[in-house]
Amino acid sequence: MKQAGSSDIFSIKSRLRRLKRDTNRWSIFTLAIVLFIALPVIAIAVKLLEGPGETWWHLVDNLLADYIGNSFFLIFTCSFLVLIMGVGTAWLVARFEFPFRKQLEWLLILPLAIPSYIVAYAYAGVFDYGGSLELILRWLNLEFVRIDIMNKFGLAFVLSISLFPYVYVSSRAFFLNQAGNLLEASTMLGVGEFKSFFRLMLPLARPAIIAGLILVLMEVLNDYGAAQYFGVNTFTTGIFRAWFSLEEPETAVYLSALLIFIVFALILFEKWQRKNIQVTGNKASGRTHRKMGTKPMEWLKFFLVLIPVILGFFIPVGQLIYWAFLTAEKVFDLDFIMLSLQSFGIALITSLVTVLFATLLIYFAKWSSINGIKSISRLGILGYAIPGAVVAIGIMIPTLAFDKWFINTMDTVFGVKTGFLFNGTLVALVYAYSVRFLAVAYNPIESTALKVSNSIPDSSKMLGVGNFKTFLKIEFPLIKTGILSAVILVFIDVLKELPLTLILKPFHINTLAVKAFEYASDEMVMEAAIPSLFIIFTATIPVIFLNKLLIKE
Amino acid sequence: MLSINSISKSFDKGKTFALQEVSFNLKEGDVCAIVGESGSGKTTLVRLIAGLERPDHGSIILNNKELSSVKKLVPPEKRKIGLVFQEYALFPHFDLLKNVSYGISKLKNKKERALEMLDLVGLSGLEKRYPHQLSGGQQQRVALARALAPNPSLLILDEPFSNLDAMLRMQLRSQVFEIIKKTGVTAIFVTHDTQDALSVADEILILQHGKVIQKDQASNLYIKPNSVYVASLFGNTIQLSKELQTAFDCPLNPNCNHAIRNENLSINEECEYVTHARVLKKTFMGNATQLLLKLDNGHQISVVTKDTNVADRIKIGFNSTDVLEFAG
Repeated sequence: MKQAGSSDIFSIKSRLRRLKRDTNRWSIFTLAIVLFIALPVIAIAVKLLEGPGETWWHLVDNLLADYIGNSFFLIFTCSFLVLIMGVGTAWLVARFEFPFRKQLEWLLILPLAIPSYIVAYAYAGVFDYGGSLELILRWLNLEFVRIDIMNKFGLAFVLSISLFPYVYVSSRAFFLNQAGNLLEASTMLGVGEFKSFFRLMLPLARPAIIAGLILVLMEVLNDYGAAQYFGVNTFTTGIFRAWFSLEEPETAVYLSALLIFIVFALILFEKWQRKNIQVTGNKASGRTHRKMGTKPMEWLKFFLVLIPVILGFFIPVGQLIYWAFLTAEKVFDLDFIMLSLQSFGIALITSLVTVLFATLLIYFAKWSSINGIKSISRLGILGYAIPGAVVAIGIMIPTLAFDKWFINTMDTVFGVKTGFLFNGTLVALVYAYSVRFLAVAYNPIESTALKVSNSIPDSSKMLGVGNFKTFLKIEFPLIKTGILSAVILVFIDVLKELPLTLILKPFHINTLAVKAFEYASDEMVMEAAIPSLFIIFTATIPVIFLNKLLIKE
Repeated sequence: MLSINSISKSFDKGKTFALQEVSFNLKEGDVCAIVGESGSGKTTLVRLIAGLERPDHGSIILNNKELSSVKKLVPPEKRKIGLVFQEYALFPHFDLLKNVSYGISKLKNKKERALEMLDLVGLSGLEKRYPHQLSGGQQQRVALARALAPNPSLLILDEPFSNLDAMLRMQLRSQVFEIIKKTGVTAIFVTHDTQDALSVADEILILQHGKVIQKDQASNLYIKPNSVYVASLFGNTIQLSKELQTAFDCPLNPNCNHAIRNENLSINEECEYVTHARVLKKTFMGNATQLLLKLDNGHQISVVTKDTNVADRIKIGFNSTDVLEFAG
């Protein structure tokens, strides 16, 4: 419906004129932040052009099949396990009433408070010679059959039991709020519970379930500590070996690129499956009403739901507490307190920086009046998909190059000897954390920001107040809860982070996660219990607190 | 004082036009209503004037200052235009005093001015209340006070009464426009309700599919609408097709379209053009009755009458002076 007078609107010339008019400083700032976040990936891509290192072809011949095979074994086995545990428990708590359902509903989230590598240490202790299982069995006068879990099967079990809550949370949300009316319709049509679940609810919930599953798989591919401890060769352990043992950055970069490729394939698969079948239509809505059952059935459900909670939380925590008592005297000293404070300090600084970046990214994109900028700004949150080890390598390359250039220039031009500016400093570490955890901060802030109607800031502007002041006076007070949850969530994630920290942490600084890893690597896994418990308890308290905060809203 | 010059705005990369070549002028102190169905582009038009949207083409000039064009854009906060949003958009974390004084930070007597404005809208004494403690009508008046407080050169009200029920709406409408007249501010208000427009606007601008259909004074629009569409906005109209013209035996200019307003049809009275009809169906509508008529030539029309007791067979007619004529 182009009109005579309007046709020149779409000429290139007038488009460019408008683009020039609409480009403001916010558009440029948004692009700058996205570029800053994307720098590690760009660095890896550029480095790829320099060709692989000497050992690359050796690695391709001997190890690559192992890396790929193990990674895919983990992807499939973990998918299977987390789907059964996550979807099954979600359906039971959303659909049925049984004893302690309310308590179990939030206990099921708690395994997320324990990093996978710590679950791995704990289970190694349970199944080891002279481990907790043997002690208990002997005490019960039963014969001990040793199960070796230090292999890829054990790794898949450990990763699944600690990561299934991602699937649980996303599918429970769907079961609770999205399809109640359809379920009622199905019941009214005389369709039984089993058939309703498999034929109706499961296909409907698929996008939500797969969204949770993708998060699990990203964490599986990100894992370093558990795989390393169980002696399973994966991409991340390969990257570490290339970087530290072989000292061949080029090979690490090639492995990183392959890993990024796998992750993005997963993301594309997730997007494709969402588009492929539009089941999340607006027709599905309504709360699900819980059904009561007979007493024995209710207790059966209770035990079914309890199993993953016991496996994922109580057994590892119990094992760690037992070890903590054995090693308290040795581990808990002044140095340890200093280390904890350092760890909390780094996590706090990082969460503040990351939340600042996320907030700026959200609002700069909003204030920019070019539509394309808004889609580009969302690229900034893809850092979460990139495994920590890869982010670390990606940060290492440009900062090292810059520092070398800087030292050289200072030396030749000014004759001043300087040290590294970024590399091996807190700056590089905090930068890497922000890249990786930007999405963790972005999502809660964005969702609260979306609840503030656009007309609120617009009316502030109409009253003569500019963007920035409007944000401080009007929007910030209204999105405070979102910002607070973002700070807490990033804080927890930084505290738990291992691979990235191992590569980038400054020499004289240590974190609880690294300390636990060092103990475990030095054949002192019992001593790893206290730093691990510190991480778990600091991660658990905010999870409960956040849950309360969200319920209050 | 306000001049809009062939403004165009498209969405979805030019696939749909919200506004096409819209032009009009507004005099100082006038109250202008922009009337149109939803999707006619009326909200887009006021958002363009406010600076919250950017035009693809054309320019907006207020008091000889160019606000929007393809090359230049004055940001909304620098335009000195007051905007009352459809959903009021009061700041939920501020009390009324802070809400109203928010835009007048540059004045010294900030507090007095805010209290004065609250007094003007009849809410003095409530300055310590928070928006959620107010009724819809009160929130509306706070939004008005807040928009008027910085002394804007132009006030825009976007669907100001659409969130209120019918009784409150009438009451508030007269209150709000009394206040606006008192301050003498030039005002534009958007509505889909022609009653709103007719009762308070000096001038009315009719938008359809992003184009200006007609702009005139309220009384002129009613008497001399320039299209069947405009006529039908201000009450039920019946288009006088060729068949109807034959039925009533009134030959009209074949090069033009014609219509007659429902209220100008008389039942069982003497008129210039008459015909007889059979009542097929009566629908009781409270204060009126809708009749489905079958005219003697077989044509069916539907009319509304105040008369609740109509016979099964009636005489229906109209006078030539009431016929509305539109250029084909």
